[in-house]
Amino acid sequence: MKVELKNIGKKYENRENFTLRGIDLTIEEKDFCVILGPSGCGKTTLLRMIAGLNSVTEGDLLFDGRRVNKVAAKDRDIAMVFQSYALYPHMTVYDNMAFSLSMRKERKKIINERVMEAAELLQITEYLHSKPSDISGGQRQRVALGRAIVRNPSVFLMDEPLSNLDAKLREHMRVELVRLHKKLGTTTIYVTHDQVEAMTMANRIVLMNDGKIQQTGAPDEFYEKPGNIFVAKFIGSPTMNMFDGCITDGNFVFDDGVVRIVPSEPLKKLLDPYEGKNVSVGIRAERFEKDSIHRNNIKCTIDVIEMLGKEKLLYCRLSNDKEIVISAPGYNRYEEGMEYTFGFDDSVVHYFNTETGERINK
Amino acid sequence: MKKQKHKNALYLSDRQPLAFAGKIGVLMMYIILASWAAAIIWPLYQMIVSAFNGRQGSYLILNREFEFSWEHFEYLFEETLYLTWVKNTIFIAVTTAIVILLIVSFTGYAYSRYRFKGRRASLMAILLIQTIPTFAGIAAYYAMHTIISNIIPAFSRQMMLVLIYAGGGIASNTFILKGYIDSISTELDDAGRMDGCSSMKVYRLIIMPIARPMLAVIGLWSFIGPFMDYLLPRVLLTSPQTYTLAAGLFTLINDIRNTNQPAFAAGGLLTAVPIVIMFILLQNQLVSGLAKGSVKG
Repeated sequence: MKVELKNIGKKYENRENFTLRGIDLTIEEKDFCVILGPSGCGKTTLLRMIAGLNSVTEGDLLFDGRRVNKVAAKDRDIAMVFQSYALYPHMTVYDNMAFSLSMRKERKKIINERVMEAAELLQITEYLHSKPSDISGGQRQRVALGRAIVRNPSVFLMDEPLSNLDAKLREHMRVELVRLHKKLGTTTIYVTHDQVEAMTMANRIVLMNDGKIQQTGAPDEFYEKPGNIFVAKFIGSPTMNMFDGCITDGNFVFDDGVVRIVPSEPLKKLLDPYEGKNVSVGIRAERFEKDSIHRNNIKCTIDVIEMLGKEKLLYCRLSNDKEIVISAPGYNRYEEGMEYTFGFDDSVVHYFNTETGERINK
Repeated sequence: MKKQKHKNALYLSDRQPLAFAGKIGVLMMYIILASWAAAIIWPLYQMIVSAFNGRQGSYLILNREFEFSWEHFEYLFEETLYLTWVKNTIFIAVTTAIVILLIVSFTGYAYSRYRFKGRRASLMAILLIQTIPTFAGIAAYYAMHTIISNIIPAFSRQMMLVLIYAGGGIASNTFILKGYIDSISTELDDAGRMDGCSSMKVYRLIIMPIARPMLAVIGLWSFIGPFMDYLLPRVLLTSPQTYTLAAGLFTLINDIRNTNQPAFAAGGLLTAVPIVIMFILLQNQLVSGLAKGSVKG
């Protein structure tokens, strides 16, 4: 099912300001759409509005072209997986999964078929007759998924479903969820604050901050072409190195020439209007190369080296004490306290308008 | 040999071993607790013994003579309206418990889950009203009874009692149940609603089964209340046929014409029976931690 949000806004009772406003978003059929954002950015509110648990203050919510603003949650043909799983503690796993179907007065035989089918898909047949309190966190997570699956809904909504699992299990369930989505092909809207989950699972990411959508697109677009400074800083670990400087004589200059970047010819044209104005430049940690042949270089002294195995994180200081992070392959040798020169290619430099935060080199 | 073993025994407690002063302190504590226990158990013991002591006359006398007999119980059942009182009390207690459970279910759930105008103010009011003793409204109760019984002639004094007990119980129990439901994750409500429940069904099928231990406690308390209260039935009920146990038994010790203190003791002893039965019936419901496993990993 195609989900469209048109100029959606939400204002809670007894709140002065809108929590969300002017949200425009189209989620295509069979998409795995991840709504990503820091805590308090309104992503859960948005999901709950789609679910029908929160009312829509303004704008239109369309399911396959039909306006559903006033349709009750149970009639929207959607299923939701909650962060806390929200299993009914007094019912067995089987009853938990059968509950929604029995509420719809489905025949016993059909209920049984569907539950068994879902249980087999999720490999939870062994403990169908246990209570939720008797099974582990990972198993509860599967039951919560199963409860959504048996309904055979048009849209799955998931509210940080993996955040209560330990790291190992989370990795595993991530792949399981993607596999499940491939198998069922149901439109899925998934809310998380974890960029790794977003990057690995989504075929479409919606990044939100301050009640607004910052950028929508495929995961690689997010990494390669962040639309503004917030996106650039939010996506990627370690955080992108940012330099707030200005354009002088067509070159980017940071703090009296501690960093001077000569842009490529096509870029020069784009940067022309910014002559003498403030511009921010971002470069990802892994894009610095030692002993490079590039014309743009920076000199820095290594403060601390973090050894992560396959890579090393070098925490360096420029001559004006500005800190930058550089990621280097784990087999390269560096020494703390030494000065090194790192170069970078023109194509890896992200230019942003400092005032608006918008990207310049689109 | 035994002492040797004791000396070599491993010290397993997580607390530091007691110093001499600490040991004295513990001893004092035990003495206080033991005398406290004695103060409670002694009268109970005397009551039980007197109830079965055939040597007791109509006044209780603490003497050594004891002869086992059922005569006080026989007196209770044959010469007094004891069974009627039991029936009255159970009727009042059960009705009170049912009314309280029904209404508190709604109010507790509503106060916990819904935001509405005057929610805070009315909760405060409920709390404040609790500070006024029930008996202070006695004149109003008479007036209320007159008015209601004029409209509904079947509205007896006993029903007025039920109304008073329930009215008093609803306020405090709403508070208690609201607190308990507050601790149940609202995601369960959301899940129920998505699964196709109306608000009523969310309560009946999801919240109520989880809140069962608390509902059982509330039910039990409401049931016990009418057994314990003497003042209101004594004032409101007029004929011995309508008395509750407490009011009825009291006639055995306050009136010189039919004083029978051992029978009073026997009746008191038997009063415990319905309460114990109720407790046993509800025991299975009184398991806590039922909400475990619904949320969190």
